Formats: sequence, structure tokens, C-alpha cells
Amino acid sequence: MPQSAPSFRDPAGCCCSFNGRVLRFVATDAISEFEQFLQTNCARQFIARKQFVSTRRLNEDETATLRESPELQPVFHAQPGGAVFEHERIPFPSYPHEWPPEMLWDAGRLTLELAQAALADGFGLKDATPHNILFRGSEPVFIDALSFERRNPGDPIWLPEAQFVRTFLLPLLASRRWGLPLTELFTTRRDGIEPEAVYRFCGPLEKFTPRMLSLVSIPTWLSRKTSPDDQKIYQPHLLANTEKARFILESLFKRLERTLDSLKPVAQKKSVWSDYMATHSYDDPAFAAKEKFVNEALREFKPARVLDAGANTGHFSALAAQAGAEVVAVDLDAACAGAIWQRAREQKLDILPLVVNLAHPSPALGWRNGECPSFLDRATGAFDGVLMLALIHHLLVTERIPLEEILRLAYEVTNSLLVIEFVEPKDDMFRRLTRGRAALHASLNAAVFEQACTPYFEIVRSLALPGTQRRMYCLKRKGDGN
Amino acid sequence: MTILLAYIDPGVGALLWQSIIAAFVGLLFYLKKTRRWIVGVFRKMFGRGQKPPGVVVEIPAEETMKAKSNVR
Repeated sequence: MPQSAPSFRDPAGCCCSFNGRVLRFVATDAISEFEQFLQTNCARQFIARKQFVSTRRLNEDETATLRESPELQPVFHAQPGGAVFEHERIPFPSYPHEWPPEMLWDAGRLTLELAQAALADGFGLKDATPHNILFRGSEPVFIDALSFERRNPGDPIWLPEAQFVRTFLLPLLASRRWGLPLTELFTTRRDGIEPEAVYRFCGPLEKFTPRMLSLVSIPTWLSRKTSPDDQKIYQPHLLANTEKARFILESLFKRLERTLDSLKPVAQKKSVWSDYMATHSYDDPAFAAKEKFVNEALREFKPARVLDAGANTGHFSALAAQAGAEVVAVDLDAACAGAIWQRAREQKLDILPLVVNLAHPSPALGWRNGECPSFLDRATGAFDGVLMLALIHHLLVTERIPLEEILRLAYEVTNSLLVIEFVEPKDDMFRRLTRGRAALHASLNAAVFEQACTPYFEIVRSLALPGTQRRMYCLKRKGDGN
Repeated sequence: MTILLAYIDPGVGALLWQSIIAAFVGLLFYLKKTRRWIVGVFRKMFGRGQKPPGVVVEIPAEETMKAKSNVR
């Protein structure tokens, strides 16, 4: 795992990953409030439900040991006199630009639940971004524990409301209404999408529908009417009646909850790949043989962490999860990832579905490309097993990735097992993908494939799937590839 | 009270819109309070809901025990 650069936006402290540990450095004047929050009913309940990251303060000896690490000197220098806390580590960090809409919606729901629960304990959530959340399997976990501050009881305004709208509601709206992929939206915009940008997408009549009026049109008209130099609007307007302030805030959270519910992603329409399991070209014996082969490999190698690359509807991710593995299932199709998330939640399977195109994986993002590591940075060496089923022909033909490169990537990602399905150029799907370029792959066959595996993997066993032009391989990673 | 170090962009139009809605909801708060007060007055007038002060209904201990044993 790469060591992440320390976070820097919150003046109350920062968080970084160091030697596999997640450390939070809290500024002197924020320590007491932070510890008070961790003792609230809200924090305790959500920690018990595993929806809030568990946190402990390091003692003086542990902190002194960390102080000796040269890599942490800049952080200690930036927070002199502060305290260090350690968070539990969430197995595989993922970011909003890799989530299907279902996961963004679920993260939004948790954000609102926490904001409301904290209100009862006299605390307020000071930022409302999906970057506060990671997923443990399919379950969201709030990780930015420093996002809570004691609120002024007379303040009826929730400042992060606009951020909640920009980063949860409007992306969900744009995804639902215009099919805007969240992957593209969050790759280019860390802080979501402004009402003014959505306003430009709306037709003349659509601007006046109740939902658009409240989320998009009225905020846009108001911002146009306001002088950019007017600082008065940002001054807090405290009420003498704290009961009234609380009533207003509770009503705001209920309104946001209703809006979020109305934007809940519906079971997605058919995409190019979401129907693949129902329409694939295997007959029953071939599919059963493939399933048996994968199950045997999982039983033999017992991988603790599995990457299912090109997971489609997650059938084989589910097999791996049922065999006891923590699974990360990636697919380029958001509809597929959403369906996997739905299934994982319903069947309580430890699967983290992500929208990632292996041929064009998520890049490193944020300031100096240091805030969100790239998918491959996170995946390298992070898995004991990799499944590449019915994927190789898409990479070879559609993406024009050389066979050796595909195997080298698998070698870098897995520490032990690779189950891969080799597809002959005579296969129907392979031929369909070539679109007249069959000559490019004329020399490819099982013998060539096995030869290409030699530098990286030992062949444990293989099986020709009956009645198909496909062959399953169970491969064991060699100690050192060339 | 600690100083709030808000560091996120509160928006412009969204913040104004939230303030306008807050003003309306504030009125609703008083309407609700008034309604609750009126309902309370009517309840008192017709003797429903609240018991007159000073009257304490005592349940004999043996009856309480009987009720508990019935639950089992």
C-alpha cells in the first residue's frame, strides 16, 4: 500500500497513512472537542454499527516512537503540541469516481443520518462530501472523524448544505436524468457539480419543475442577483430561541432526506453488459464446468482477498465471497457495479463493487495527484487471488493490449492465484469483437497463451470448457517475473 | 464556544435559499407552538389528557404482582 500524503483542508488536523496504519493528527485546540465527540451517543452508536471508523488516542510512548520517524516530521511540525489518534484500516480504499450511483446514494444517506444524530448531542457536521466515506465491502463507513464540531445552539443554518447538494444530490440527479456517468463527473470535479452547471442542462420548462426549482433554478437565480463582494450573507444569523434553531435544522435534514430518497437509483436499465449472464454463449454444462473450476481453485488456494476483474453481474465475485474472501469486483459498466452492490447488500456478501475500466484505470487525483491514489497503486500486491473470466478477448481485441502486458498486470496485482479464461480467436464473441481484424490475432492459440504465461505463472491445471472455444487456467504466481 | 473554522464553500445561491426557507420554517415553528397551546387549552377545558393536580392513583402492590404474573 502506498503511504498517502497527509490531508490538509481541515485546520483542525490531518490524516495520513503510515506503515499500513491510519493516523490522525489533531491540533491542540481541537483535541478536547474531538474527544468529547467520540464519547457522544451518536459516535458510540455508529461505531458499534461499524458505520463510523473506530478511533483510539495513542499514548505518549506510542507518539514518541512516531516522532522519531523522519517521514512524519513535517506533520508533527505542522501540528505542534497536537495529539495523535489511530483509526482502524478499511481494507481497500475507494473513491466517489469509482462508485456506481447506488453507492453514492448510500454514502449520502449515512451522511444525513450522522448529521441528524450528532445534532441531538450538540454537534454539527462541518463538511458533507462523499470523500468522508469509504466502503467496507458494500457497507459505507464514515472515516473523517474530525468532521464534527460543537455547534452554536442558536445557529439555524447548516453551512455544508450546498456541499451536500453539489456532491450528492446534483450528481445523482444528473446521473438519473441525463445518464451522466459519476466516474467522469468526480474524476474532473472533486467538489461535485454546481447548480449553475446543472441549470445549463435543463430545458426551459424543466427549470420550473419543483425539484429543479429547489435544487437548481432558485439557487442559480439568487446567486446571479447577489454581488460577489457581498460578505454579509456569510455572517452567522444566530437566533435567541435555540429550540426554534433546532426545529429549523431538523426540518432541513428531513427535506434533504426526502430529496435524497426521491433520487434513489432505480434498478438500472439494461446496459451493454448487464444482461451478459442471461445471454452469454455458454450452454449449461460449459457454465457448470467453469463454475466448478473456479470453486476448486478458490478452495485450493483459499485467497483472503480477491480481485474479480471484469466482474459483470458478480456471479463469480459471489462465489469468492462465499468461499470467505474479501472481494473487490471491478467492471467498466456502472449498471453492472450497481447490480453487484445490490446483490452484495441483500445477501450480505463481502464484495466491494467499483466502476473501473482495467484498460483505462482510475488515475491518481487531487492536489499533486496525492489525495486519491490511482487504482493500480492501491491494487498492486493487494490481492491473493485474481479472477479474469471472459475478459482477455476484450483487452486483446477492443483495447489492443498485448497478451504479455495483460499477464504482467495480473502478476503485479496477485500475490498467489490467477484464474483466467483463455478465449480462442474462433470463439463467437472474439470474432464479433474483431470487426474484420481477425488477421491481427490469427497466430493466437492455447499454446501461445501458455508460452506467454511462463515468465510469470506456473500452470496448476487447465480445462477446456465443453462445446466452447474457451479454456480455463488455474495459475500460480512465480516468485519473480521478468 | 469554540470558533467555527468552516473551510468548505457554502455556496451563494444555495446559502441564500436555505436562509429563506429557514425564515418560513421559523414561522411554522410558531404556528406549531400556537396549535399545541390551543390544543392544550381545549384539553384542559374539557378535562381530557391531564389529570387534576394533587390526585395520585395508587395501585395496590398485590395487584401489580398479579399483573406481572399474568404477563409470564
